[in-house]
Amino acid sequence: MKKRPHIPPPLAERLLQRVLRDDLAEEVLGDLEEKFYATVEKKSARRAKLNYWYQAMNYLRPFAIQKSRLKNSNTQAMLQHYIKISWRSVSRQKAFSSIKIGGFAMGIAACLLIALFVRHELSYDTFYQDQGAIYRMTNQWKEGGEVGRWTNLQGPLKTVIEENVPEVDLVARTVLWSWGNAGSNLVRKTKSNFNIDEDGFFYADPELLSILEIKMVHGTREDALAEPNRMVISQTIADKYFSDENPVGRQMVLNDNPEDTYTVGGVMEDFPLNSHLQGDFILTLFGRKSGPGTSGWCCTNYVFYTKLKPGADPGATEQKLLQVRDTYVMDQLRTAGKAGLNEMQEHHSYYLQPIADVYLNSAEVNDNSQHGSLDLVWIFGAIAGIILLLACVNFVNLSTARSIQRAKEVGLRKVVGSVRSDLIVQYLSESVVFCTIAIFLALIMATIALPFFNSLAGKSLDMPWFEWWFAPSLLALALTIGILSGLYPAIYLSKFNPSEVFRGVKGAGKNTSFMRSGMVVFQFAVTVILIISAIVCQEQFRLIMNKSLGYDKEQVINILGLNTLDSAKKVALKNEILSVPDVSFATVSDFLPVEGGATHNRNYWLAEERLLNNGFEATRWTVDKDYLDAFGMTLVEGQNFSGITSDRFNIIINESMAKQLALQEPVGAEVIDMFDEKYKVIGVVKDFYFESVLGTVEPLAMVYGTGNEVLSVSVKSADIKNTLTALGAVWEGFVPNQSFKYAFLNQRFEQMYGALTRARTLFMTFAVLSIVIACLGLFALSAYMVERRGKEVGIRKILGASVSGIAALLAFDFMKLVLVAVFLAIPIGWLLMDAFLGDINNRVELSWGLFAIAGLAAIVIALATISIETLKAALTNPVEKLRSE
Amino acid sequence: MKETKLGEFEEVLLLLVGILGEEAYSFKVAEEFESQTKREVSIGAVHSTLNRLEEKGFLESEMGQATAERGGRRKRIYTITASGQRALETSRDFRVSLWSQFPAFATGKLNFG
Repeated sequence: MKKRPHIPPPLAERLLQRVLRDDLAEEVLGDLEEKFYATVEKKSARRAKLNYWYQAMNYLRPFAIQKSRLKNSNTQAMLQHYIKISWRSVSRQKAFSSIKIGGFAMGIAACLLIALFVRHELSYDTFYQDQGAIYRMTNQWKEGGEVGRWTNLQGPLKTVIEENVPEVDLVARTVLWSWGNAGSNLVRKTKSNFNIDEDGFFYADPELLSILEIKMVHGTREDALAEPNRMVISQTIADKYFSDENPVGRQMVLNDNPEDTYTVGGVMEDFPLNSHLQGDFILTLFGRKSGPGTSGWCCTNYVFYTKLKPGADPGATEQKLLQVRDTYVMDQLRTAGKAGLNEMQEHHSYYLQPIADVYLNSAEVNDNSQHGSLDLVWIFGAIAGIILLLACVNFVNLSTARSIQRAKEVGLRKVVGSVRSDLIVQYLSESVVFCTIAIFLALIMATIALPFFNSLAGKSLDMPWFEWWFAPSLLALALTIGILSGLYPAIYLSKFNPSEVFRGVKGAGKNTSFMRSGMVVFQFAVTVILIISAIVCQEQFRLIMNKSLGYDKEQVINILGLNTLDSAKKVALKNEILSVPDVSFATVSDFLPVEGGATHNRNYWLAEERLLNNGFEATRWTVDKDYLDAFGMTLVEGQNFSGITSDRFNIIINESMAKQLALQEPVGAEVIDMFDEKYKVIGVVKDFYFESVLGTVEPLAMVYGTGNEVLSVSVKSADIKNTLTALGAVWEGFVPNQSFKYAFLNQRFEQMYGALTRARTLFMTFAVLSIVIACLGLFALSAYMVERRGKEVGIRKILGASVSGIAALLAFDFMKLVLVAVFLAIPIGWLLMDAFLGDINNRVELSWGLFAIAGLAAIVIALATISIETLKAALTNPVEKLRSE
Repeated sequence: MKETKLGEFEEVLLLLVGILGEEAYSFKVAEEFESQTKREVSIGAVHSTLNRLEEKGFLESEMGQATAERGGRRKRIYTITASGQRALETSRDFRVSLWSQFPAFATGKLNFG
């Protein structure tokens, strides 16, 4: 045979031999080789090789390749067999299997929901194109190793930054606290005269739209806010008020005040749910003549957002800002009469907070917005992990508990020729099958539970059915959990020695029962800890609700939306309301002793110490002469505003402020504020909580004046409903073009503790869930044990044992474990809760009674679970158990 | 049921099998296709189509002789079946009938200008 210098690429040949149908391989390889030599002659060996590969790749078509590499192979047959056996063992013991799978599914469902939540929390503000360039500008104060950060900055700083910091591309001020029209307002279209209460107003400079890349439906980011009295509304609001027209250019009136007429400059898409900034109306700060947008160097009223130029380094920009502060800002502050500038020079700097960090607030910037809690994300994550672990433990436990039944199967398989690795594969595939079924169930459960979970966590999450990663990650989950939780049973079961199994020696040995006991202890310990957490939260909540606050929150009704009325009308309305039976006092004010209302803070000094130090900060309220009475606050010294003392230079201070002033005789003292206004103290009010009960009572100064927004009515009535109707009727008579809106003070008060309420509900839910999972496991275990000891019970009965004696005997094994769990859980629970509550004020006492209740609850529940089976066993006629031998 | 219509590529291959006679195996058919149409085609594509035509019953095949340039491997020789011939005739008649209905062509006054 002629020697050929070139041969077809061997690798390609081997590949074809591997994948091609057996009956095709010969002719195909022949054809390709012929082609190869033809090409070698016509072109070159290199081209021929290349072409061979090309031809080979072109043979990877459905018709030519083997249908399945596994077809008719032993592996596939065995896999089919394993799945069949799994299915049979599921259906052989339906109750047992459904507990096994159901408990597992419940755990996975809880995990799924929590994973959705955690993912949502972590996704806040991560959707910008220029993600890395968008920052919130904050103050930073470093002193003695402590760092404090807060958001508010002076308005004129904007121009200074724009002119002197080249790294900054855009900078915008926002007013997010209730100043001017920020917050909620009554709104009407110019043509209509009916006012509707709307929330979600805030002020911003026109640049904000570009900085936060707000998507515009109508109008442009550049123009929408670039003229005075313009506003941008959200799609939702546009649909509500201008259903079928383009709202751009239309006008809306705020609070029935023609001077507050805004022209819609654009419509934006609603803020994404995972944006820290929310709102439906953006009012422009551009060209305002008074109020928001016009304050000078005196006051820090604005939250600044900024977008840096591409490539600008935030650290360098912070340094630049500091230089700018020293060269431009300090002089201004001096002119504005600011004290403590030297300290400021030393400790103050700026911090640019990446936009994505704002929501979870890892930098602990003090601002007035809603935050998620990184702690809560961690707690949630940990709970998810623990519940999944519980479910897995259950699974492992129940699988090994049934080892006796499977022992003979294993023995027989080994006799017939199975090797250990085959058995392991069998049990692993069985557990993957279980796990897959459980995940399907879990999906159904999670979908059903999602609405409840949403109301619990205060979110609106969706199942991400159609996200590309959803199905694959579930699949991965099924495999991972299946293999992890199947590993121990697989290794354990496959270890059996056939000769021992058939002789009946090998049962559930000492070895496994120790393991199983450990798992039961673990499950119950976790359960008890969760119960403790739930009880502690509940107790803390009760403590807050029943705390004597220094005012009466139960009997106060707040009538809202008075800002549309002129002052004469307000007085008339107040008088009319006072004539309603059961109404004892009424006061119009903007300040309520709950969080979320208006807050104005100023620095105060004793008049003679004005220039000596920085003074101290106190909250400042404007109230009228009925305020203290309406809320049931008590004066400890001096007098209330009335008659001649109703002067705007008289103040009433609280005890905490009196303490700050450090005076023996506060009444009559002269106090001065940062705007050099002088006041005379005429009274001291007993400290009352006007912010969270978990903090301390801060200094408070009340000046005389009239309020604008809220009419608070103190009612001594047994029939609140009737009183409300009467109040509503009065309102209708006065303000027919606006609906009667009211809120109970105690509801507002409860809202302040939403986070705690949610934590309580969460712990309770998960405590219940883990109890259910643990009990399912315990139930199945006890059922199994009763079955195993059936004959023993029969013989004992014949020999004269009592029903209660037998029940106690059977239950004791398990109760022992539960008791151990309780004693382990109590100290851990105590430590955890101690850390969870931290150093808040008005903290609930962690008493022994509380832990005893949790432990007792677990014991009772466990006992109840076990008794179902043990009692049944104790009551069975011994004949039933003994005759079949 | 299998699709019994002929596609353009299928029709050409069927005809080439007829032309090549005893030499009609995948490699030769592919070579012939390339030289007649000046279009590139991979042997796999040709083989796949021949296989499909066989499933439709238009071709039948048997293993032929081994030759040295094939590394001693045999080749699969395709031959047209009666139904394959019928399918070709139907296809041709259909086109002729279409052409005859095309007025410009039928009257011989095809205007390419």
